[in-house]
Amino acid sequence: MTRWVVLAWAAFLAVPLAAQSVRGRLEGRIPSAAIPAVDSLIQFASQEGLPTEPLIQKALEGGAKHATGPRIVAAVQVSLGQLRDARDVLVRAGDQPPVLPAEMTTVAWALRRGLPAPVVERVVAALARPPRAAAMHAVADLVAHRFDPDSAAGLIIEAVRDGVPRERLLDVSAAVLQQVQRGHTRAEALASVRRELPNLPAPSKPTRGNVAGARRPAPPTPP
Amino acid sequence: MDVRGAPPDAEVVALVLGGDTEAFGIVIRRYEAGLLRFATRMLGSRDAAADAVAESFVRAYRHLASCREPARLRTWLYRIVTNRCKSHLVRRSVADVPLDDAPPVADPADTEADLERADQLLLVERALADLSPDKREAFVLKHVEGLSYEEMAAVTGERIPTLKMRVHRAREALLKVLEDHA
Amino acid sequence: MNTIDPRIHQALDGELASQAVPAELRRTVAQLAAAADLLAALPPGPAASLESRVMAAIRRPAPSPARRVIRWLVTPRAIVLRVRPAWSVAFAAAVAALTLFTAGDEGPELAEHEGIAQFVGRFPEAQSVHAVGTFNDWRPGSIALKDQDHDGVWRATVVLPAGTYEYMFVVDGERWVPDHLAERLVADDFGRENSIVIVRPARR
Repeated sequence: MTRWVVLAWAAFLAVPLAAQSVRGRLEGRIPSAAIPAVDSLIQFASQEGLPTEPLIQKALEGGAKHATGPRIVAAVQVSLGQLRDARDVLVRAGDQPPVLPAEMTTVAWALRRGLPAPVVERVVAALARPPRAAAMHAVADLVAHRFDPDSAAGLIIEAVRDGVPRERLLDVSAAVLQQVQRGHTRAEALASVRRELPNLPAPSKPTRGNVAGARRPAPPTPP
Repeated sequence: MDVRGAPPDAEVVALVLGGDTEAFGIVIRRYEAGLLRFATRMLGSRDAAADAVAESFVRAYRHLASCREPARLRTWLYRIVTNRCKSHLVRRSVADVPLDDAPPVADPADTEADLERADQLLLVERALADLSPDKREAFVLKHVEGLSYEEMAAVTGERIPTLKMRVHRAREALLKVLEDHA
Repeated sequence: MNTIDPRIHQALDGELASQAVPAELRRTVAQLAAAADLLAALPPGPAASLESRVMAAIRRPAPSPARRVIRWLVTPRAIVLRVRPAWSVAFAAAVAALTLFTAGDEGPELAEHEGIAQFVGRFPEAQSVHAVGTFNDWRPGSIALKDQDHDGVWRATVVLPAGTYEYMFVVDGERWVPDHLAERLVADDFGRENSIVIVRPARR
């Protein structure tokens, strides 16, 4: 009985405590008048099973960039809409609810980077299991360099099917772009890399000097 | 150059994305006059404006795939140019915004009407330069470039009531200058 | 500030038909419309179209490494240049997202889920440059780039958990600039663009 009482209290307290931590992160960082509206949007997201961290980050970003309260609220609303769209794309493509938050964040990025929704759905459907972040960004990298989205998606999907590990998919797009830089047309670049799959040029490595100087970010100073 | 017979923006974008780099020339010819005029009014210098607009076109070409609504290419281009102008302006205070050169030397062939127009233009240009960048941008987009408030919202990311307020304040400031010098 | 009759604003916003504007206000409407007309004329200046300049920039192939360094040194503008070694355009994207070396090299001990991000930017006149983004809750100050040899090139190499991040550079504490070297840009919904860096996990 005691255990259930403890759990009930924990559940009772969990929501306001979670809300407290969101407000705690926003206070002093965004105009105070905007906090209730932003907090509400974040609660909606949470209730819908959408990731909340992108929304908190969007609000913090607005505060750092000295945006007005209303503008911050509007931007958080836009982000919320993007996450909803992302969830819908994933469900249409075959992901069973509840959809993974990381996948919603990934798909939201893919859509923001200009990938058409049907192309995103195609990649999701082809890569039946997550994570799909590397694949999405690899396709988006090619699209950003004016490759046809379907052709770009086709190559990345083929790379996965040929056994290229997901963490190396960015090297696939990098290899294609390298071919273009050497003067090949986009079609030639895609074909050339496709022929070599699953072989790829070795990934770039940092120099010893660069890595020796790597530091972790300084912790935030208290307000 | 006449681009009236050329394909509409959505088609031109499709051509360029399909690999026809030269088709981007249609975009440049179609929009450079308006963008140059806008940037000149924002930066107060024709040369700075030419740099900003040229950079913007190059950027637009490189990121063309990210233009989600090619049929609204104009709005997208104005957004790139406003951001570029903002970057230029942040680097120097508003008070430093140069007005191109000294006033032109009067040509004896100029009529009195020409001279008066030139004086009036100088007055208006100075009033524009005295506005904050936000108000200047809003006034120029509305009254010089002829964008609707909806288009201005898409270009600047600001809400329509905010834009209206800025345009109204800009008008008031301009009117004061005109009346003070009447 | 002079507040003018709201009907003047309505007329100029197209919300009030000109016939409906009271006679005493029409002069003011006309004055403001005339001022706008004056500004609508393109100011005098070089008549050459930008087309050839822009198309030349678009068609130009990436310069050789030597030419790039020379251009880097002489270009006076305080913005980031693209550095694209001829042997790997991909390096431009990978510069900010590097996989890690084998164990035994010098450097910090990285956990399995951590990787390295390298930030580089050219700001010759800057006093300070920071990387600010979702990796540090958009707090300026925690990732400071350094220009150790005072050549105007600022760098930082940072250990971060593997993942995707949005960020910008903040120059002199006030100027927000995207990292053009990163090549991945996305609208920030505040009128600017954020860069994206993908930090890949260490390999052992």
